[in-house]
Amino acid sequence: MQSVAHEVLNAHERLLIDQAIHEQDGRPGALLGILAAVQAANAHKFLSMDSLRYIAEETGIPPSTVYSAVTFFALFNLDPQGDNVICVCRGTACHTRGSRDLLEKLCLDLGLSGQEASDTNEADKMALTTPDQRFTVRTVACFGQCALAPVVEVNHHILSHVNERTLQREVKALEHNGHGRK
Amino acid sequence: MPAKTISVRIDGELVTAREGQTILEAANANGKKIPTLCYLKGLSAVGACRVCMVELAGTDRLLPACTTPMQEGMSIKTASAKLTQYRKMAVELLLVERNHICAACVSNGHCELQAMARELGITHVRYSYNNPRLPVDMTHPRYVLDQNRCILCTRCVRVCAEVEGAHVWEVASRGIYSRIVSDLKDDWGKALSCTSCGKCVQACPTGAIAEKGFSVMEMVKQSDSISRLARQKAHVG
Repeated sequence: MQSVAHEVLNAHERLLIDQAIHEQDGRPGALLGILAAVQAANAHKFLSMDSLRYIAEETGIPPSTVYSAVTFFALFNLDPQGDNVICVCRGTACHTRGSRDLLEKLCLDLGLSGQEASDTNEADKMALTTPDQRFTVRTVACFGQCALAPVVEVNHHILSHVNERTLQREVKALEHNGHGRK
Repeated sequence: MPAKTISVRIDGELVTAREGQTILEAANANGKKIPTLCYLKGLSAVGACRVCMVELAGTDRLLPACTTPMQEGMSIKTASAKLTQYRKMAVELLLVERNHICAACVSNGHCELQAMARELGITHVRYSYNNPRLPVDMTHPRYVLDQNRCILCTRCVRVCAEVEGAHVWEVASRGIYSRIVSDLKDDWGKALSCTSCGKCVQACPTGAIAEKGFSVMEMVKQSDSISRLARQKAHVG
C-alpha cells in the first residue's frame, strides 16, 4: 500500500529523509540522528507530521515510537520556528531574579497572546511563534549559568543579567536586522 | 536445562527460587502476595507504579519487586508499616493526578486501582487534586480511550507491542504532560496500525480503555487471558 506520506511530501523532502536514514544505516538509536538531521535541513527547523509518517514508514519504527521520541526531547519542534529564537531561562535562580516578568514583557512586546502564554506557562517546554514567523519565544529549565541570572539566549548567544530594557533593545536590533545575527 | 536454584528469605521464611527470577515471581511462586498495578504476567516489567516496593535486608532503599532479580541470600520483606506508607502514597498520587471518580466509571467495581486503594485502606487522599481537562477519544468504532482514567501503567503499550505486535500505543511528552497516544497522536479510529484486537482494553487496569456499549460498573476486564496469550506466544516463538 502506497501511503499518504508519499503523496504529501515532495521529492526533495523525501530525498533528504532517505539520505538521513541511509547515513544512520540502522544503528541502534538511529531515530534520534534521523530526526535531528531532518529537522536541521528544514527551513523552519521543525518536523512536519507528514515527514514523521514518512520516517516511520521508511524505517519500520512504529509511528507512536517516533511521536514519543519527538515529544520527549525539547530539541524537536512540531511547529514551524521563527527566524529568531529567544530562549528565556525559567530556572530557580533566574526566576528569583525576575525571569517571569521578562518572559511576560517579551510576549507582550512581540504580540504573543497572553492567554496562550498563561496556558502553557507551567509547561517545561513552551514555544510560541509570532504569526509573521520572525520570532519564537521559548523557555528552558536551566542554562547552567545561574551566576549570570537572569539569562536569556538570543539566537544561541547567551545574554547575562538581562533586564527588560536590554531585552527590548536586543529585540529591536533583531527587528531592524531583518533576519538577525545568524 | 534446569535453572540454578538459589535460596532466599521472603518474610523470614526460607524458600528456593530459580536464578534470574524477579523478587515478584519468586514471591508469587511461594504463595506470597505483593501488590502490583503496572505488572501484568506475561508482559515485560517496567517498574512504573512503585506499588510493588519491598524491603531488602541490609539496605535502606526500597526495591521494586517486579524488576529486581532475586540473588542468593537476599532477605526480602513484603509487608511492613513503612511499605504500606509508601504504597499508600504512590496510589494517592495516582488518584490525584487525574479524575478517578469511581461513581461515574465503566470499570467501577472491577478496577485494579480502586481495588488497590481499598486494599491499602485509602479512604481519602492527602494531596490536592490536579483536575486536568483531558480528552476522551471516541473515534474507534468499538473502543473508548478516556485519558482522565489513565494511570500511565503502559500495560496497553506493552501488550500491543509485545503480544499483538502492532505497537499502536506509546507515551508521548514527559512528566505531568505524559499522555498515551496512538500512532502520531492520530485519533484512535484513524490509527492505521491498530488491528482492533482489543488486547489493550483487557490489559488496562482502570476504565481508561474500555469497550463501547458498557454502562457504569459493567466493564469487566480479562487480564488473565492476556497472560495466557503471552504464555502461548512464548511457547510458539
